[in-house]
Amino acid sequence: METSGRIATTPDALDFTVENVEKGLHQLYYDPNIENKNLAQKWLMQAQVSPQAWQFCWALLSPDKVPEIQYFGASALHTKISRYWSDIPSDQYETLKTQLFSQIACFSSGSKMVLTRLCVALASLALNTMPEVWPGAVPEMVRVFQEEGGGVDGRARCLALLELLTVLPEEFQTSRMPQYRKGQVRGALGREWGSVCPLLQQLLRQGDSPGAVKSRVLRCLSSWVLLDVPLSESEGLVEDCFTALPDPELFDTAVEAIVNAISQPDSQRYVNTLLKLVPQVLSLQEQLREAVQNGDMETSHGICRIAVALGENHSRALLEQVEHWQGFLALVNMIMFCTGIPGHYPVNETTSSLTLTFWYTLQDDIMSFDCERQAVYLQVYRPVYFQLVDVLLHKAQFPSDQEYASWSSDEKEQFRIYRVDISDTLMYVYEMLGAELLSNLYEKLGRILTNTEQASSWQHTEALLYGFQSIAETIDVNYSDVIPGLIGLLLRININNVQLADTVMFTIGALAEWLADHPVMLSSVLPLVLQALGNPDLSISSVSTLKKICRECKYDLPPYASNIVAVSREVLSKQIHKTSQCMWLMQALGFLLSALHVEEILRNLHSLITPYIQQLEKLADETPNPSNKLAIIHILGLLSNLFTTLDISKQEDESGESTAPPVKTAPLPPGPNPVVVVLQQVFALIQTVLSKWLNDSQVVEAVCAIFEKSVKTLLHDFAPMVSQLSEMLGQMYSTIPQASALDLTRQMVHIFARETDHFPPIKALFDLVTSVTLSIFQQGPRDHPDIVDSFMQLQAQALKRKPDLFLSESLDVKAVFHCGLLSLKFPEAPTVKSTCLFFTELLPRCSDVPPVARVVQENGKLLLQAVLEAIGGGSSRSLMEQFAEVLFSLNKHCFPLLTVWLKEALQAQGFPSTRVTTEQKDTFTQQILRERVNKRRMKDIVKEFTLVCRGLHGTEYAAEYCL
Amino acid sequence: MAYQLYRNTTLGNSLQESLDELIQTQQITPQLALQVLLQFDKAINTALANRVRNRVNFKGSLNTYRFCDNVWTFVLNDVEFREVTDLVKVDKVKIVLPHSSTTE
Repeated sequence: METSGRIATTPDALDFTVENVEKGLHQLYYDPNIENKNLAQKWLMQAQVSPQAWQFCWALLSPDKVPEIQYFGASALHTKISRYWSDIPSDQYETLKTQLFSQIACFSSGSKMVLTRLCVALASLALNTMPEVWPGAVPEMVRVFQEEGGGVDGRARCLALLELLTVLPEEFQTSRMPQYRKGQVRGALGREWGSVCPLLQQLLRQGDSPGAVKSRVLRCLSSWVLLDVPLSESEGLVEDCFTALPDPELFDTAVEAIVNAISQPDSQRYVNTLLKLVPQVLSLQEQLREAVQNGDMETSHGICRIAVALGENHSRALLEQVEHWQGFLALVNMIMFCTGIPGHYPVNETTSSLTLTFWYTLQDDIMSFDCERQAVYLQVYRPVYFQLVDVLLHKAQFPSDQEYASWSSDEKEQFRIYRVDISDTLMYVYEMLGAELLSNLYEKLGRILTNTEQASSWQHTEALLYGFQSIAETIDVNYSDVIPGLIGLLLRININNVQLADTVMFTIGALAEWLADHPVMLSSVLPLVLQALGNPDLSISSVSTLKKICRECKYDLPPYASNIVAVSREVLSKQIHKTSQCMWLMQALGFLLSALHVEEILRNLHSLITPYIQQLEKLADETPNPSNKLAIIHILGLLSNLFTTLDISKQEDESGESTAPPVKTAPLPPGPNPVVVVLQQVFALIQTVLSKWLNDSQVVEAVCAIFEKSVKTLLHDFAPMVSQLSEMLGQMYSTIPQASALDLTRQMVHIFARETDHFPPIKALFDLVTSVTLSIFQQGPRDHPDIVDSFMQLQAQALKRKPDLFLSESLDVKAVFHCGLLSLKFPEAPTVKSTCLFFTELLPRCSDVPPVARVVQENGKLLLQAVLEAIGGGSSRSLMEQFAEVLFSLNKHCFPLLTVWLKEALQAQGFPSTRVTTEQKDTFTQQILRERVNKRRMKDIVKEFTLVCRGLHGTEYAAEYCL
Repeated sequence: MAYQLYRNTTLGNSLQESLDELIQTQQITPQLALQVLLQFDKAINTALANRVRNRVNFKGSLNTYRFCDNVWTFVLNDVEFREVTDLVKVDKVKIVLPHSSTTE
């Protein structure tokens, strides 16, 4: 196409004329080539903001053009007025205004989208000239459109006026004007409400106003109330909105207007108006009931929104009007009806969830009164909240099995979320109702479970238990006297459904802390849990419940330990649970074993892990393949998880704290820790596994995890294995370097480097891994950011815990320093962070570790250059704090050198960025050198300078960046 | 209004890094970057409010609390976090919460 070709090839050369704009638009709308479209779009955007736009926009609006072209003209006009207002000389305001009025009049019976754009343009003009230049903007708009003429019929003019009045406050909300001006214009607009209000009222009340006009009036009202016009002044209109509600055509816009008016923060000041609104809202109950009966979800939703808006925003104000308590109570009951709306969420209804926040607000408001008044309110509202609990538990019930099966997975997920919201509400309501709530639930549960005449549905039982669980999960139920009875009832439940069984399990889990204080009840619940453990459908609930019980009640579990271990062994061997549940189960067993005597622990450990050891031995013999790899990782994972929680060191202090009888305390055993015994026994096997799988980072990681978890729990008890493990780690790392080996080394350095006995093996390991890593750096470290990261962390840890490690002759400090310099330039943020940490730990050592001092003196300038390069734009802006720390450390520990280096480094033209001038660099240098105490200030200086270097200084974007 | 506190998350930081890079190489203007960031605020606020129902319980002793500029801050000591199966103990926790009525 010829025209599109012209714009596509030489977009900049084209003049912004009417003709070219039309061609551009044609290209934008109809050119099949997306690149041409993009070019046209770009060119049109330029055209829109060009000075010529003032001329061509009027021509484009001409009646003989198509709406797309007219729209562009109107849009360009709006852009110019809103963003380039200062282009217009003040003596032309009047002409522009008149032209706009006449265009709007023309389009009032033309294209709607062009009309709206023109209205927005005039609104923008009004906002720019209010209140000084154009004081009576709104009355003038009303007057102009009420005048007959122009061949346009009255109804079209009326709709155009309403459109204009609707967009005026909207344009104000979205316009970007300075704060002071915003206040001024808001005030002026507020005064204009005096002219708008009667007009809207008149149009709404006129019996012969067409639906389209009324609907536009309601939308206009919505727009104006958002400006915080006083509720007392819009009262009459809001009442009219209520009369519009029965009209289906007006329902949605009327609801919107009422909700907007009621929800204005300012509206709480008009208590008398609010009081008048209560009966209005109550009068909608009939319509609500009808809608619910007819399954009209839109109508019930809308009415509920109105009731909730009034209740939620003004409950405090309305509660305080004591003489009107009955009216408010009726409103509360209306909202209760909405909460309990028939049907299942989200399939049959979506209204009930709207109401949940209201109940929190009402409760908060009641509880915030002083004790005396609170007591009075509670008399009225406690029964209401008890009723709410019933309603919520009814709504939380699962549908029939058949119905539930027909739900989509999305609906099931929505229902789950809804139940969590109900659970949260119940938990909060408990704060008000207290232990009586639990007794109430208990009685109900008792009634349905002991009623022999009428079988209850599992859904009902499940919901009541769910209520219990919601509360017991987070609140200490110790003082409630119904828990023993509840446990008795749990045993009577005929568990014939998975959801019910799940909830029974979770309820027991929620009672774990209570069971720790009432261990006598353990014998009742444990069989239930152990039985559920064999059911794959109850995997998550049963395993997590067992873990909670083992964690909370371990000192009371020894009598049941062999049984628990036996059942666990069986379910593990039958592979009933998925991997992560197997891991949880091992953690549970770790807790359980922690409270036993050492011989018992060893016996149980052996019976528990022997099958896995045998399996591992077999796997170690096989040729590596993907399936035996998974099996190996699984077994290693089981061991890690077991050792994570198996901690006999806490036996003494924890049981000392509690009031438990001393019988439970197992004396801290002499001799090695049972975990160490097992680890030593399997050590050779692990080495065999490693020998075959050394190349595989996941297997190496799994092996390291076993030791890492054990070291974390055992701490100094791990000592007997230090030299053995150091040797193995050294071998592992020198064959195939892996980050996990370095992380484990770091942990060993952390715990054992300061101990004289363990220093030699740790030092040997440290020297070895350092030299191996240095050789990686020689070959190019870019492929191993994880290793570099862990290496830098290890070096930092060594400098912190035992700087003597850097005195070793076999350690090439200079090479380590240079590795650090390379790592600073990595794109991976965590690696750079660790490297900055390394340097911040290294620099203070200049004073007491001579090799470090030497290297810094000779190579420190390179470090400074790398840091400046990073600040100059080489590194992510989120890392600037870390680089500032390095600079701060340089300043603190190498001040004289830094002074020279800074000068030399920043002398280079265009360094660290072409965007900074010599003066800016000088200022930066002075600021840096001055800051030797205040680290925060240093960070600010660096952040400021980096913005300048990146060309972001002073942009709104940079100001918004919050790091 | 959408809160900006989620900019300081892995996702937010990565976005800002990319935007920075695009600005530095003059592929986008800072104004456009700002729009993207504002859009991110909106999207993440909505997503976190509407799509997440995971629950973690925790308890601890309240050391200090304040309510300033519509933001609650709580400092807790000796806090225990409980997820379905995990228990994590932390010495000190700071909780920052924008007041909900202004998020709407």
